[in-house]
Parts: sequence; C-alpha cells; structure tokens
Amino acid sequence: MAMKFDVVIIGGGWAGCSAAAQLCDSGLKVAIVSEGLSLSVSGSATPYARLAELQRRGVTVLRGDRAVGALIEDGRVKSVHTRNLGDDALQADRFVLATGKFFSRGLLSDKEHIWEPVFGADVEYDPDRSKWYDPDFNKPQPFMKYGVKTSPDGFVLAGGAVVGNLLAVGEIVAEGYPQSDLGKL
Amino acid sequence: MQKEYDVIIIGGGITGAATLRDCALRGLSSLLIERGDICDGASGRNHGLLHSGARYAVTDREGAEECIRENRILRRIASNCVEPTDGLFISLPEDGLDYQANFIAKCREAGIDAQAIDPAEALRMEPAINPAIIGAVKVPDAAVDPFRLVDAHILDAQRHGAEILKFTAVASLVKEDGRVVGVKTSKGDVLRAKEVVLAAGIWTADIAAAAGVRIGMMPSKGALVIYGHRVANMVINRCRKPANADILVPGDVVSVLGTTSDKVPMDACDDMHATPAEVDLLMREGEKLVPSLARTRIIRAYAGVRPLVVADPAGDGRNVSRGIVLLDHEERDGVPGLITITGGKLTTARLMAEMATDLICRKLGSTAVCETANRPLPGSEGRKPGFKDPFNKRAAIGRHGTEIGKMDFEKGGEILCECENVTRAEIEYAVKNFGVRNISDLRRHTRIGMGTCQGSFCIRKVARVLAEYVEASADELVYEYRQERWKGMTPVLWGDTLREAEYMHKVDGNEI
Repeated sequence: MAMKFDVVIIGGGWAGCSAAAQLCDSGLKVAIVSEGLSLSVSGSATPYARLAELQRRGVTVLRGDRAVGALIEDGRVKSVHTRNLGDDALQADRFVLATGKFFSRGLLSDKEHIWEPVFGADVEYDPDRSKWYDPDFNKPQPFMKYGVKTSPDGFVLAGGAVVGNLLAVGEIVAEGYPQSDLGKL
Repeated sequence: MQKEYDVIIIGGGITGAATLRDCALRGLSSLLIERGDICDGASGRNHGLLHSGARYAVTDREGAEECIRENRILRRIASNCVEPTDGLFISLPEDGLDYQANFIAKCREAGIDAQAIDPAEALRMEPAINPAIIGAVKVPDAAVDPFRLVDAHILDAQRHGAEILKFTAVASLVKEDGRVVGVKTSKGDVLRAKEVVLAAGIWTADIAAAAGVRIGMMPSKGALVIYGHRVANMVINRCRKPANADILVPGDVVSVLGTTSDKVPMDACDDMHATPAEVDLLMREGEKLVPSLARTRIIRAYAGVRPLVVADPAGDGRNVSRGIVLLDHEERDGVPGLITITGGKLTTARLMAEMATDLICRKLGSTAVCETANRPLPGSEGRKPGFKDPFNKRAAIGRHGTEIGKMDFEKGGEILCECENVTRAEIEYAVKNFGVRNISDLRRHTRIGMGTCQGSFCIRKVARVLAEYVEASADELVYEYRQERWKGMTPVLWGDTLREAEYMHKVDGNEI
C-alpha cells in the first residue's frame, strides 16, 4: 500500500539531509530514502546520526532502501518505487532528487552511456568515453562535472521536457545547471 | 685499477635476470644494470602465462618444443611462481573442428600432452567457458607470476655473488679499438666488463645503434584487461589460428584477458597504455571465451611491447621472428665484447639465458656448464602455506615460500594491504632485498595494492610505512601510486570502475 507525503527525497547524503531538515522545519510531511552509500559525509557514523536526528523531527527515514523507478504522468512524478517496498511505494506532491554521482549510484554508466536510473532524467556528458577523464589523476576530471540537466527554475529535465514536480539538489546536478531552490516548495 | 666484471647485462626483465643467474651460477663475476625497477618492460606487462607450447604447435614447431621443455623445468625449479592450472583450447561453432584435429596432431609431434575432451566433460572441468563449445583440448598450460619469477632469479644471482644496479640507465656502450669494453651510466660512471649482454627487450635496438650496431626490431603492442575476480580455474584459449583476445589466464585472485598485436612506433614504447578501443575489442572477443566476463568488474587495462626482431633490417616487417634471437656481434658486425639476447618468451627465458651464457663462456674460455635447469630458485624449495600457518603469514608464504624465514613477523605482523594480506614485515623484506623507491615498485615485489580494491582503502597506511624507508613523503608516494593506477583505470572507466574513480578522487584527488 502506498504511503503519501508532501515531499519525498531520494538520497540521504549531505544534500538530501539538508533538504529534509529545511522542509520538515517548514511543516511539511517528508520522507527520505537513504541507501547509505553517501560520500558527501565522512564515514558511516555521521550520516547515520543525521538521519536519526531527522527521524526525531518527524521525517520518515527509509534506511538501506534504494529508489529503483518512478511513475511519471503528464510531466509530473506520481510515485517512486523502491527496492524494499516495491511499486508505487511512495506518493507525494513533490520529489527531490539528491542521489549524488557515480559512487552512490545516482548516475549509472556502461561503455557508451551515462544515465539517471530512477526518473530517466536527461544527463549532461560527453558521448565519447575517452573524454570522460583527464590522463593526469590530479587534474579536474570531466566525469566529476556530469549530472542531470535542470531548467532555470531547478526542475529536472527528462526527454527534453521539464518534470514539473521534481527538483534536484547536490552533486547529481550537472555543473553549470541550476540547483533547485527548496524555498519555492 | 678499476674493477672489471666478466659480464655486464643490460636489462632487468626476465631475460636479463635469468642470464644474470646463469652467469653467477657458473662463477662469472656479473652485474645487471636496469634503468627502472625489474619488470618495467614487457616482463611486467604480459599475460603471466606459462605456455605449454600448444599455441605455437601448428605454426612454430621449434618454439612449441622449447616451450614444453621449459614449462616442465619451471614447474620444478620455480614451483613457488607457477600455478599448475592446465589449459583448455575450446572450439566455438564458428571455428569448426578442422583446426582442432591438426592442432592435436601437431601438439603430440612437439611432445605436448594434448587430449581431446568431450564438450560436456570440458564444461564440468571448467563451468565458466562458453556452453556453445563444440570441442575442447586439454593441455599443460599454467599460470606464472612474472614479478616473483624475476625476483627469484635476481635473489639467487645475488646470493651467488652477482651485483644489480637498478634505477640507473645506460647512457652509452664504451668502445676501445672497436671492442665494447663496458658501459657508461647516466650518472657518468664507467663500468667495465669483458662481455656486455644486451637483454633490454625493445630498447635493445637503440642501445646497440648508439654503438654502431644495427638490430632491426619491430615493436608489437599487446593490450590486456584485468578482471577483478578469478572467473575460471584454468587457462582458456581459443582453438583456432592465433588472433586477438583469445587467451584468458587466471592470475592469483584475478583474471587476465589478452591480447592484441599491433605495430607501434619506437617512440611510443616508453609510455605504453591500453586505449578504450582496444578494451572494447578485447571484451567483445573475451566474452566469447567466457560469457560471464560481460558481468565481471574490470580493474584495469595495460599494454606491453613484444621485442620482435626483423631478420632483414631493411625489410617491412614481414620476416619477423618471435623465436629466440642470440646475436654474436663479434661474428655478425665485427664488434667484439657485445652479445644480444632477445625475442623469445617469458616461458623460454631460462633457455635464452643458457644460450647466451654458453656463448659468453666460450668467449671467456670457461668450461662451466649450465645448472639452472636443476636447481630450485629461492622460495621454491617446497614450502607451501597451510592452515597451521598464522593467518597473517599465509599469503606471504604463498608469494615467497622459504623466504618467509627472512621476514620479521614479531615486530611487523600487522596486515596493511587487506586484499593481498601484505604485512609490514613483507614490506621491510622487499625494501631490504629488492630496493624500492615507491609504492609501484613495492607492488611488483609484494602484490601490495594489486587486489580488488587497487589500494583504495590501504594506500595511505602503506605510504606512511614506506615513507619511513624511502626518500619520499607519504603524500608523494600516494600521488605516484594513484597516477600509475589511473593510467590503467582510464581505458575501462565506466560502471563500477567509474564509481571507484569518484571515491578515489574524493579521498586522494588534489582538486576536490
């Protein structure tokens, strides 16, 4: 049976937890899905403590779960499926994508493609794999700039169109694209 | 009077190391000079395959016979470096079975025990292979650790009085009255010897040319991919005319797929790396051998250069030998004091050394006979790890055999590299016995950072320990190692490898 929230946040790293804190303080009913693969907060203890604090403040925390897909209709996300809860698990008015980059599986890749697996968001990257890296380890690496494309308002683009209730924050957003302003929620 | 060696050998790959050992065992005063660390060239950039000779049986009978003889010898004298996995030559539907019949006959003519196996039986022996096979042949291929093999040769040579000078390049050969009498190092020292042996792989041609001796060599690049797990028990070959990506070799805990064969310019040899296009080709073909490779994480890709000798220096590369080439430059070019030993294979290096040392002995008037086929190498005197050995010692015994007695586990028993179980004691042993500048050197002698995590988790700990012994800071050591690993990761930078790259950059990248 589906659970309904005002906002569902996908990703329990720095960006997702910050968003959750801000939104629950403004009185919204919030859920956060955290697989526990964040690199944005050092170690395991600190992110776990942050999630515990959010739980005390009324946020529903789905620990060790991963968003695996979404139902999108008429340019809006209706629900998100998770590995542990199955289809249509989480319904909400708004969704926040905060899944980070490659390590946390916010972005997946094979030899030719890079994609965002939950919403099928448009990803900014070079189609030529030999351009994904700089041969010097210490130089800025192109792959660290890749991420999802967003509209000027910070809404996620999928198939070139704005997904009207899906915002993106943190490292999942490609460099040069706007981060969402959560205040607008 | 300056010291004069009987022999100076240039090149610290398997050919040079085996020649140094042979010379030392025959009582010649010998020095090996190497510009980097051992195995910097082709000896450290290959499959780690101890050939049975089967691959050459159809096209090169002599090479096949050499391989099977040396295969048997190395299993005996280098038991600690060889894993007797056996090998399969599998036929896929598109290969047909015509090649197989001739292949088995030619193997047997060369003395290689090749047995046709029913496909169902082959799949029971090796469930990883492509289930579409229509035929299989079992041969005595094996896996060999080239780093360990070279180290063992160097150690044995040193214990019989030989000297080794690493991290020192040869600037030129020194000639007096038309005779080569020694070498001048890049540091300006002149070292004298009665005979100088060129065993520098593809770099042999340049060193010889500077002394007016022309050796036609053709660099042939071979790219390989390392998968992060051992997916097969045996060496898996394709039973067809040798082609790209048709051998998968298990190497300790990983699997190595290769190779390609492409002519490259000489000036590319100093910076060998695999390209994304080569990786794509290798994967496409390799998945036909072992389908699960498509779902196995790739750790890194690398490339080496085969030192092929062109018989006619003016030729266009058609007349190229992959066999052993021993050149007596006194006879060939009127330049006494200089010998070249090249071509050949990792498997036949001991034989190459024997041939070169026989020639040296003739020149020096020595009647000493070769003993290298009968004496076990250091570490290979029969000590194998068992469950009675303490956990932190087992991996080191597997790598170093009897040499374990020279490591101080009382003080240095703490495991630093978790994947390969390398302790401080083993690091100290490597620093003391082999000379180490950085973590990449240490890796060759201990397998540190070669496991599935590629040093992601341990490298800072290792760097702090190594910094106590070498003239480099822990940060410098980490950077050098990361850059070296990065070179191998970039051609395979997608999927889990890309995930690992982000982790590495956030932990160790200076830009983040």
